[in-house]
Amino acid sequence: MKIIERFWLAFCFFLLYAPILFLAVYSFNSGDAMQGFAGFSWVHYQELWQDTRLLQIVLNTLILALTSSLIATAIGTIGALAIYRTERRLLKQTLLGLNNVLLVSPDVIIGAAFLILMTALGLKLGFLTVLLAHVAFSIPIVVLMVLPKLQEMNRDLVLAASDLGAKPTEVLTKVTLPVIAPGIFAGFFMALTYSLDDFAVTFFVTGNGFSTLAVEVYSRARQGVSLEINALSTIMLGLAFVLVLGYYAYSQKTTSRKATKLKEKVK
Amino acid sequence: MNSTKKRFTEAYLGVYGLWLLAFVVAPLLLLLIQSLNVPGQGLSLANYRDFFTSGPYLAMTVNSIWYAFLITVITLGISYPLALCLTKLKHRQFWLLLVILPTWINLLLKTYAFIGLLGKDGLLNQSIEAMGFGSQQLLFTNGAFLLVAAYIELPFMVLPIYNALLDIDPLLPAASRDLGASSFQTLKKIIWPLSMPGVKTGVQTVFIPSLSLFMITRLIGGNKVITLGTAIEEHFLVTQNWSFGSTIGVVLIIAMALTMALTTDRKKKKRRQRK
Amino acid sequence: MQVNENILEFKQVALSFGETEVLKNIDLELDSGQFYTLLGPSGSGKSTILKLISGQLQPSSGQVIFDGKVINDLPAEKRRVNTVFQNYSLFPNMNVFDNVAFGPRLKKMPEEAIEEKVKEMLALVKLAGYENREINELSGGQQQRVAIARALANDPELLLLDEPLSALDYKLRKVLQTELRTIQRRLGITFVFVTHDQEEALAMSDWIFVMNDGVIQQQGTPEDIYDEPVNHFVANFIGESNIVPGVMKSDYVVHFVGKDFENVDAGMRPNEAVEVVLRPEDLDLTTPEKGKLVVTIKNQSFRGDYYEIMAQDDDLNLWQVQATNPAVIGSRVGLTFDPEDIHIMRYNESEAEFDARLEAYEDDETPTDPSDSADKVPEVFDHE
Repeated sequence: MKIIERFWLAFCFFLLYAPILFLAVYSFNSGDAMQGFAGFSWVHYQELWQDTRLLQIVLNTLILALTSSLIATAIGTIGALAIYRTERRLLKQTLLGLNNVLLVSPDVIIGAAFLILMTALGLKLGFLTVLLAHVAFSIPIVVLMVLPKLQEMNRDLVLAASDLGAKPTEVLTKVTLPVIAPGIFAGFFMALTYSLDDFAVTFFVTGNGFSTLAVEVYSRARQGVSLEINALSTIMLGLAFVLVLGYYAYSQKTTSRKATKLKEKVK
Repeated sequence: MNSTKKRFTEAYLGVYGLWLLAFVVAPLLLLLIQSLNVPGQGLSLANYRDFFTSGPYLAMTVNSIWYAFLITVITLGISYPLALCLTKLKHRQFWLLLVILPTWINLLLKTYAFIGLLGKDGLLNQSIEAMGFGSQQLLFTNGAFLLVAAYIELPFMVLPIYNALLDIDPLLPAASRDLGASSFQTLKKIIWPLSMPGVKTGVQTVFIPSLSLFMITRLIGGNKVITLGTAIEEHFLVTQNWSFGSTIGVVLIIAMALTMALTTDRKKKKRRQRK
Repeated sequence: MQVNENILEFKQVALSFGETEVLKNIDLELDSGQFYTLLGPSGSGKSTILKLISGQLQPSSGQVIFDGKVINDLPAEKRRVNTVFQNYSLFPNMNVFDNVAFGPRLKKMPEEAIEEKVKEMLALVKLAGYENREINELSGGQQQRVAIARALANDPELLLLDEPLSALDYKLRKVLQTELRTIQRRLGITFVFVTHDQEEALAMSDWIFVMNDGVIQQQGTPEDIYDEPVNHFVANFIGESNIVPGVMKSDYVVHFVGKDFENVDAGMRPNEAVEVVLRPEDLDLTTPEKGKLVVTIKNQSFRGDYYEIMAQDDDLNLWQVQATNPAVIGSRVGLTFDPEDIHIMRYNESEAEFDARLEAYEDDETPTDPSDSADKVPEVFDHE
């Protein structure tokens, strides 16, 4: 690897991680601002631990993300199957087009449009409205993750299964779903990422009673810096890092197992 | 047998179709109606006339597009070489995960980090002072806005480019070298054109959200850069003029559709038609 | 043959990836204007040699010499060598014309000259008029023709072909084999062709290198290699062989399957253990009384122009025979063959030792004229 390539990698990773690490370092500051490190202390973690409002919001955010991703994965998978199964070209294109609309729409538009819709439906702004909006913007990505797996799937597989006497439900649960499972999981994780990362849509459709982490941080940040938020970010960063390492170790293990199996077969 | 299969397909279509009608078609239609429903005037194009004859709004539109363009160019300039380097690494999957990891930290938290970094007595200013220069106004500048927006969008640009680069048959660059092309010529004539689908996806996923950023404009840009997104947010949540907000929304959707049309592969379209 | 100058040379070239030795001290010399084939199973190192010549890989030790200059570290784009890749590797973002024009354009040739060159090359591979086709509109065979034209458009001194025909169907492969041979003769460029298909190698080459385990097992003309395989591997890999253990009682007498046979090999130690090779097409069926060996017919299958018969002798050795007429399964028959059909291989004899021994005893009086047997086998080929 050339020096210039190493340099660029180092530069980019520095760029990506410097702000996050900066947040993490100052979470241990005994002072009250993100400047002039006064000394090491856990005080902001203690504050965080006692801030039941913030903890409740974190919990809300996680529940929202998990629920919306699960619902989005279910509907998205059905959507992908619908698009895949449809033979009429025009209908197929229309479905795909409508699916992509929300994917390419700016957050603000989704937020505004859903605000109008929820008001028109007479729904009180809160958890339900936020949940519906999150499901809505997560579904397209699930469809886009599952659809290619369906298209890659060997058509003969389904034919063979029904030839061997499998009923359509069995074909679905024993052949189709297992084959497209990687796409479904990928879709679920993307939905989770979208939901956790969202700010704008939630900001539009949430009411007084319900808040997510992003909205809370936004309102707090406008009042000034609070290192409690740093402590929270650090914990989340740590969790994310553990998840990544775990996932990587797991995927390495499975691929190496697959590789050895393949080698054995070749032999 | 076939009829059960058909019933299944119909059931899928029913569930998904209903969802699309209720939560894709309906909200967008309502947005359009709202934009035409001017308070006190009934249905009229008054909002659109106001928008396109108002100097400030037109300037804001141009501004939004210009900044979205800059953010996209900066992100692409950093991401393309990064994606290229990543594909050459041994444990590239792991490094790619490290590029994606920051997206799991909510963007508000990352923005918040920049407030600390760029603040009046922030780390960057202290470094500048340590080097003997005077304290600079960093936060609430256009530069800060571009930096933070590019930072947040970076992984979304790297990912599709990386995937497109990995899809290139490694023998093609080898063939190019074999035929006498230097590594730079190979990059220009083979790798870059073949990674174009990834670049286009990346440009779309960065340019479109950049058109309507409103939180960063406020927290980092200090409302110096006012984008269409900021305007929509103000109309909906501050001045409560939903009608005009919706009008800007519709204009934004049109701008977005134009972007998509411009970046979609023309060749691909032709091929599809032939099929 | 015209005066040949040495164009490429490997001197003690070795290549390892970590612990794995891919090539072990390879020496080879290529003369200009010849059609060479590297033949071997997958993983034998044949494609690695190609990559060392093209510059995709650098040797761990030894020297790669091109036109008298060591080119170990010369990057691929600076070598006057071009490659035709196994999966064609045509640039999908360009049409046929742009693919073929890729090399000439890099050389900054004037546009008219490029156009002429592309036309000439496409005519050479019988694709005149295909200039504006997109790559994905072409069949596999057409894609491979474009790949050949693209490589030749660069005026290489050496053309490398990495299993270029292996993805094509049988008939098309035959056609392209002939065409490649014609193109090579017409242009007079040195070709190095890699394949795992022995039939392809025998049909096309002036000279074959048989590779296995990162070592050149044997090199020579197709006839030499077929007639005189140096070891078990080569005998098995090239053509069909019956190989049985035997003992060289003395010069020109070999003992196997319990009997002594007259043969044409010499130069071994007395009573040295050897391997005896008999080609299926050299064996003839006869009555048990007239047979040099007596066997029982176990199995037979019709192969179009001959019957392939599997028979077993009383020591339970299996014998493969190619016969023009069918036999009766279960019957006892005799097998006959001529002394010059017997080929003897010593265990662990290298090619150099083999050549030295051959020269030493051929100076002696030989019971049969060696040119006789040399002429015989190619006939078998033609009819195959």
